[in-house]
Amino acid sequence: MAVLAVDGVKKSFGGVAAVNGVSFALEAGRIYGLIGPNGSGKTTLFNCITGLERIDAGHVRFKDERIDGLKPSQVARRGIGRTFQMIRVFPELTALENLLVVTRGARADAERRGREMLQFVKLEGLAGEYAGNLSYGQQKLVEFVRVLMTDPALILLDEPAAGVNRTLLNDLLAAVARLRDEGRTILLVEHDMKVVMGLCETVFVLDHGEKIAEGPPGLIQADERVIEAYFGR
Amino acid sequence: MTPARGLLLAALVVLVTALALYPMVGTGYGVRATLQVFMWIALAGSWNLISGLTGYVSFGHVAFFGAGAYTGAILVASAGWPWPAAAAAGGAAACVLALLIGYPCLRLKGPYFAIAMLGLNEVLRALVSYFEGLTGGGNGLSLPTLDATRSIYYVMGGLAMAVTALTYAIITSRFGLRLMTIREDEVAAEAMGIDTFRHKLAAFLLSAVGPGVAGALTARDQGYIEPLSVFPLAVTVTMIVMVLFGGKGTVWGPVLGAVALFVIQEIVWARYPYVHPLLFGAIIVAVVLLMPRGILGLLQLRYRLPRTI
Repeated sequence: MAVLAVDGVKKSFGGVAAVNGVSFALEAGRIYGLIGPNGSGKTTLFNCITGLERIDAGHVRFKDERIDGLKPSQVARRGIGRTFQMIRVFPELTALENLLVVTRGARADAERRGREMLQFVKLEGLAGEYAGNLSYGQQKLVEFVRVLMTDPALILLDEPAAGVNRTLLNDLLAAVARLRDEGRTILLVEHDMKVVMGLCETVFVLDHGEKIAEGPPGLIQADERVIEAYFGR
Repeated sequence: MTPARGLLLAALVVLVTALALYPMVGTGYGVRATLQVFMWIALAGSWNLISGLTGYVSFGHVAFFGAGAYTGAILVASAGWPWPAAAAAGGAAACVLALLIGYPCLRLKGPYFAIAMLGLNEVLRALVSYFEGLTGGGNGLSLPTLDATRSIYYVMGGLAMAVTALTYAIITSRFGLRLMTIREDEVAAEAMGIDTFRHKLAAFLLSAVGPGVAGALTARDQGYIEPLSVFPLAVTVTMIVMVLFGGKGTVWGPVLGAVALFVIQEIVWARYPYVHPLLFGAIIVAVVLLMPRGILGLLQLRYRLPRTI
């Protein structure tokens, strides 16, 4: 059974069809890549799945439940977590507080889990620092573990590698692979082809809001339409 | 408990005791002035709950004060309620009004919400002027004479403490942190599963109770109210300036701002009645330009103090 089924989703802004009838399905415990040139509709598609944009047509099903039309917070509470292309930590909350806000249940447990998460990304020493004072890479890590605090079944990562140095990136990618091994599903938008090719089992390619290819990374790279979309004829 | 915290707590106990004993020895002016300070602490603290924490600036918060004042005054004058019960009813009425207005308006984004609240205040003022039978219209409403200033002093003092204690409880809770995420980045907060609308609404309801009770108490204390006296925009502006001056989103900022500005206002008012509005304007400009976080906000950033200071 598919964890997420996107079916004929359309979204237009004025006369621009940002997402134009995209369909795909994600199986549990796998890592998927979503690639495409700038403006091909990747982030809009993320926004359609997470409820930040109302879709014009089509359905989105998560674990067999329609989630299109739900508020973003309702989508998130059902188990879909995401990060943003432009980092969106809460700058005037501390690193630890950034993680606490998404938790429920006993506070002591939440704090312990939050500290564990910060330790996991080697930021435990900065738990009490305002997130806005952290470096770009550190904020990115806080945002990443903030998603994990919600214990999502499906994680959407919007350019996790952008602006992250190589050492940090390797840690991050190892963490993503571990999440997959725990049975979670990951869909990531990424421009860094090495990351996509190394990590993803299946890749979807968008161009002008339409899915033009789908398959294992090796085949995708050789696909004529993909090459054309990226480099032109 | 750290020594600094213990000292602070001890100072607080001494201060509260002194304020509790004050009406026995204080002059009539002194008691009234202190009562006013309590009222401003309650108003500024309440405004801070919605606007300081969530960043949704309410430009019509005096509407809750006015609604509480009219509810309390009508219940005392026409229904013969005792004033403490009327004060509680004033708080409840303000809360109901907040629900009615918050439900549609809190779906608006920041600046639109601010303007909608400004409109609410004008509409209310027009309404109480129109329904003369109930409110006395433009002639105002007189309450039976009663000298209850000393009792009201204690109730208003209790209200100021309650609002401050509530602020402390909220700011140290995850509910409070979630309110701040709305101020920091509402889209991210939603995407993280925080129902921002419900959080805003809850904060808004809580922020309306204090002004409602304060309005009813003020109506009783002054014995006469009219639309212009309980719905002035200047009161909202004063609350805002007090919070900005002291430090928005902190526990003690509104208290500090209320006390400091009240004292400044009294001094200037007595000596230079005409430049008093000018001075207030100057403070707004100076605060926004020089220390947008207010005194405590600035200290927090510089010395890494917790929000509870």
